Formats: sequence, structure tokens, C-alpha cells
Amino acid sequence: MNNAIIRSEKLTRIYDKGFRTLALQEVDLQIPRGSITCIMGPSGHGKSTLLHLLGGLDRPSSGKVFLDDIELTAITADRLAEIRSRKIGFVFQFFNLLPVLTALENVQVAMMLAGTGKKEQAERATELLKLVGLADKLQAKPNQLSGGQRQRVAIARALANDPEILLMDEPSGNLDSRSEEELLEQIGKVNERGKTVVIVTHSETVAAMAQQIVSIRDGRLVSGGANRAERPGGKSL
Amino acid sequence: MDYFKLTWKNIIRRKSRFFFTLSAIAVGIASLVTLLSLGSGLETEIRKQADVLGANLVVTPRGWCAYEQISVLTGESLPEAIPNTDVEKITAIKGLTAFPYLTQRTALRNQPVPLIGILPTRMKQFKNWRVDRGRYLLDGANVVIGSGIAGQFKLKPGDELRVRGQKFSISGILQEVGNRDDLAIYMNLATAQKLYAVGDKVSFIAVKVDDITRIDQYILEIQAVANVAVSSDKQLLKSVLAIVGSVGSALKLVAAVAILAAFFGIVNTMMTAIYERRREIGILQAIGAKKRTIFSLFLWESACYGLLGGIVGVVAGFVFSYFAAPYIGQNEFTAFLGSEQSVQLFSAGITLKSLVFSVLVSALAGVYPARQACKLSPVEAISYE
Repeated sequence: MNNAIIRSEKLTRIYDKGFRTLALQEVDLQIPRGSITCIMGPSGHGKSTLLHLLGGLDRPSSGKVFLDDIELTAITADRLAEIRSRKIGFVFQFFNLLPVLTALENVQVAMMLAGTGKKEQAERATELLKLVGLADKLQAKPNQLSGGQRQRVAIARALANDPEILLMDEPSGNLDSRSEEELLEQIGKVNERGKTVVIVTHSETVAAMAQQIVSIRDGRLVSGGANRAERPGGKSL
Repeated sequence: MDYFKLTWKNIIRRKSRFFFTLSAIAVGIASLVTLLSLGSGLETEIRKQADVLGANLVVTPRGWCAYEQISVLTGESLPEAIPNTDVEKITAIKGLTAFPYLTQRTALRNQPVPLIGILPTRMKQFKNWRVDRGRYLLDGANVVIGSGIAGQFKLKPGDELRVRGQKFSISGILQEVGNRDDLAIYMNLATAQKLYAVGDKVSFIAVKVDDITRIDQYILEIQAVANVAVSSDKQLLKSVLAIVGSVGSALKLVAAVAILAAFFGIVNTMMTAIYERRREIGILQAIGAKKRTIFSLFLWESACYGLLGGIVGVVAGFVFSYFAAPYIGQNEFTAFLGSEQSVQLFSAGITLKSLVFSVLVSALAGVYPARQACKLSPVEAISYE
């Protein structure tokens, strides 16, 4: 696939903490630029591990990950942090907002780490929170927000530095069906702006909007690259 | 959003822990500031009193201890041990002038005051005293007093006072000189010797020399004619400051222990903070924080404890030393501190040194926890529950 923004080659991850666990085994994967890709499979079979490796949060035991032409598995921790800051946005199941900061500050902090000036931080964070429908919650702390609202703050934070890729780990795992619908709407909007979205999910509803579904079982890729159009029962965006 | 704001929000998120950690460092720094402030006040006062003495040499009986050496400077009462014959022999040496002192105590309205027996004419010239009111007459029935004593007890020329049951008239009041000379009653030496039944002895002799370059020779000459100890004013000052310095060092050790306890308190607080905030460390890493950023955040946090605790400690230390000085001054050894002007209410040097020390110690306490924090892998930290 020529237009792949992320690709992995023989990606393997073994955890060795007293006993060896083969979490991921020789995964070859390509994520098309501008697509929505869902990674699916049973719990504990390596979905999140794959996402972390693709996003440079973790290092593989063997194999390679490329983001465009940059080999993430061969660069220093500092360079990797810069790439996470500028090119990748993460959204997690448990929102992972900083509890001492307001919604606005949670978005700003990502820009602070990227070296953005304070004025620009405030303007862009406000704009992003408006985009996700939280214009009236700028000064709310995470504990004053619902699950759905927190997840929207997390999306705004992930988009803070205008990344090319959004990696989402079970983003609807803690949301009710209404919040999940809102989330899907947000993901759709993000994708429409040309962002590549990779989502680890159990939810068929979320998977229904993907152009590519990747299935993992026992750390191995059992199916991948299936085009959304070929999936029966799927709906287009 | 900036790093300072993020650090501050993290510091105050657990208010009770913030308070207790801050208190620990504040107590350590306060004890250091108190000791530095009192110690520096003591040293300043000793130097001042050495200047007041105005002598090049001090002749004391052999075998006097540190306390007595300090008392020479402070004007406290001293035992009488040098006979007049020795005074005369020393006076006879060419090129020097001797000023014998008999330092005793009496009471005015039940309050102790120093009474010093002197040779009136010689001492007036030596000290360059001027009479403010009355006249300068010291004999068997008249005394002069310092301006401080006159003000404190509302005395004027012609008033009477009793010393050991005998009535004396105040002939004059000396002009204020701004040191301990203002706080004594001066009596003719012979009268004082008789009154205190010390025979013909004096407490010590201050000596002024004509040629300062021959000071070592004068010492040898004095020791050749009398069985006494002779120190130069500089030696005396040095030995007294050395004694005060060694006491001060022991007290600083106590402050160091308090600061060491605060050091471990900060290590503990920061380790707990890192344990509690593992997930947040992971989040920061996931959104682009470098390891050195995480390290810096925690180091700043512990340095902030040092700065804030240092500020509180410095203020508390100066306040405490101000209130503690009169009580410490009740000890004869540290009697200088009884006077308020000898305690430094504020010293830029002590403040700066204490704050820098506090921040450095606290930052040092944060190094190990900060290293632990930046060692965390993002995935492990985020997965932590």
C-alpha cells in the first residue's frame, strides 16, 4: 500500500516480568493515510499493545514501525517524544485527563509540551473545545464533567498540536450509547479534516464507521485490510 | 499554561501534605536562621565591645578562663586578682599607659548595674569622655554615671545612691557614647577597693602603647615585671570569637539535623507524589513530554518546597530570634544579647544564604524521586491503576 502513513514489519512484543508473555507476534500492518482503521479482537490478545507500538509509546522486542519514512523503533526517546507531541494524538479508554487542571488547561498542556506560546495555547484550546461542543465547560475540572464530556476533552487534547494521526484505545469503553454516538460524530469530523484515525475497540458501532478492520487473536493478525465497503451491514459515513 | 503553573497546581493538590512538608523545611530553616542571627549578633556585639575597650593590650591574672575573657569585653563583674604593685610596675614601663579596672556590681532599685572602679583623670583622657550634666568628680563621696543609667533610673547630678550601705552623690552624668560605657557607675578606684574589701587589687588592666609596632616587645616587658597574662586586643578578640564560634558550630549542627529530617521528609513526599501520579506521568509522556521534562517538573516541585519553606523559615527564624534573645541573654555568657540592638531583625546575607541553602537542599532531595519518575515507561505508567 503506497499511501500508508504507518506500517509495521514483523512486529513482536514479549513481556518478561518473571514469566514470558508473547503479546504480539510478527505483525505486518499498513494504515492508509486519511483512513479510519479499527483494531478488533478479544480482550488480552494484543490490540492495545499493537496500538502502543504504532504510536511509539512502547518499544517492540523485535520488528519495525515506520511513520511515513521515520523508523520509530530506531530513534531516541527524546525524538520519539517529539513525534508523539507533534504527529500523534492519543485518546484512552479512561480519558486520562490531568485531574488538577481544567478542561482548557488539559488541552493547553499538550501545546505547552510542544513549545507553543501561552496566547496561542489559549486561543487554540478554546477553539478545539468549541469544536467538540464544550464551549461552556472551559473552566470545568475533569470531575465536574460526564464521561462523554471528558472523552471530548481528551479528543480536543489529542488534536491540540494538529497531529496527522489519532490513536484511540477503547474510546467508547466507558461511555453510554448516547455519548458513544457523540464520540462517533467527533471521530467522523476529525477524519473529514484529513486525519488518520486508528481505533482499538470492541464496539461494532464504532467498527461500522471504519474503512479498514484489523483483527487480532493471540497476538497474531488474523485478518487485516478488509475494506469497509466489503463488510456486510456496514454503513458509510 | 506554563511549567510553573503546572508545578504549583501539583504542589497544592494535597493541601495537608503540602502544609506538613513545608512545615518540616520551615522548621529546619527557622532554626538555622535563628542560630545565624543570634550568632551574628553575638559576634557583632563582641567586636563592638572590643572597640569600646580601646586598649592595645589587656593584662589579666594568669589562668583566667574564656568566660572571664569575655567579661573583660562585656564589663561584667570580675574577680580581683592583680595587686596595685603590679599595676605600678606596669605603669612604670616606658612607652605605655595602664588603665586598671575593678569591675563589680551594685544595685539600683533592686536592679543590678555594673560599678567600675577607675583612675578618674587617666580614664577620662583614655576614653575621651565628656560630661553632659554636672561635673566630673570622683572621690570618697562622689561618683559619675553613664547616660544610659541616668535615663533608665531618672537620675540627675546631686541625686544620691547607696553602694554597700554607703551614700554617694552623683557629681555628673557622662555624654552618651552609644556603648556599654553608658550603662555603668564609675567610682574612684581606691574607694571601690575599700568598699568591696578587695585590698589593693584590680580585676584587669587595659594598656595603651605608644608604638604599635613594638607590641610583642611590650608583652615581654610586662611579663618580665609581673606575674600576669597579657593578650593583645586582637588576640583577645580572636580567642573570644573562637569560643563563640565553636558554640555556634555545635548549635548549627542541631539545625543541620533538623534540615536533614526535612530533607528526608521531602524525599518521602516526592516519592509518594510519584507513586500517586504514575498514571499522570504516563499521560504527560504520551502527549509528548520528554524524560528530562518529567525530571525537571519533579525537581522544580521539590525546589518550590524549599523556596516556600525557606521564606516561611527565614521569617519565623528572625521573629523567633527577636523574642528569644532576651531569654538567651539571661545567661551571663551570652549577656550581650540582652540588648535588643545586638539581635539582627533582618539580615540580607542570612536571608539570601538560608533561601539558597533551602532551595538547594530541597532540590537535592528531589533528585532521586525525579529520576525514578523519568525512568517510568509511558505504557507502564498509563496502565497503572
